[in-house]
Amino acid sequence: MPSYELALVLRQLPRPELISVIKRTAEAIFDKGGIIRKFENLGTRALPFKVSEHGVVHREATHFTITFDTAPTKLSDLKEEFGRDIDIIRRYIFKVEEPEDYECTLHEEMLPPAYRKDVQELIDIAKRKQKPKYNYNSGLDYYPFQK
Amino acid sequence: MFKLTRILARNATVANLTGARNLRPRLYANAAALNEKEQTLTAANPDEPIDIANPYKKDRQLCILCKHNITPHYKNVKLLSQFQSPYTGRIYGRHITGLCKRKQEDVEKAILRAQHCLMMPGHHKDLDFLHDPKLFDPEKPVRPHKY
Repeated sequence: MPSYELALVLRQLPRPELISVIKRTAEAIFDKGGIIRKFENLGTRALPFKVSEHGVVHREATHFTITFDTAPTKLSDLKEEFGRDIDIIRRYIFKVEEPEDYECTLHEEMLPPAYRKDVQELIDIAKRKQKPKYNYNSGLDYYPFQK
Repeated sequence: MFKLTRILARNATVANLTGARNLRPRLYANAAALNEKEQTLTAANPDEPIDIANPYKKDRQLCILCKHNITPHYKNVKLLSQFQSPYTGRIYGRHITGLCKRKQEDVEKAILRAQHCLMMPGHHKDLDFLHDPKLFDPEKPVRPHKY
């Protein structure tokens, strides 16, 4: 089962109610056969802009993330279920990506165009697309093709 | 320039005397010390060209995120807001940020995610991060503007 991260934006609520919302979402994940790996509270903050959701305008919200494992087929069900919850303003599910080793390509990108690999490929493509041209000084005294 | 040629000339004699053709350009400091010891040996041909690595070769460039091994993440809003214009909230391009292709893509993806999750404003920069240190100067792009 792949790992996913659920980013929740919760309505401004008193603490006991906030706990019940998180419990509800966690149980929804368990019901779909998921495993929870991590809870993360990102705190209560003023939103960057006012958001109207479920008929209410929100200006402050609590950010919360839940990292969990579940089958990819269950994700749409989960999203639908969280979408019906009035206390949840936004819910996004992102796949947790493993950090892969990668080498910086800035040096190659800063080379002059003629030395860059992508430019060289473009030039090759342009060369390949050029039609063969008839050479007029090839000894024939007439043009062998239709004009 | 004159200084460099003089150093090269001195290095040339040493290299020929020792027969060490793979003397690296970084070893110039030791050249004087070696000179005395090698005087006794006879030179094969002092005018012979020497094999050294290109002394004008530039060091490999790394972008600022690759240098510090940072992977942009959507929860790291403080870092991401440094790539955002304080006037319009738009993401600066690669010619301004000086990032490599991959990291720029990652930054853009993370900023969009953060904006969807209501962690980051889209039309201005977060006021808490407005006076953060500047990573680059938009007035002086690494590569020229398209327009």
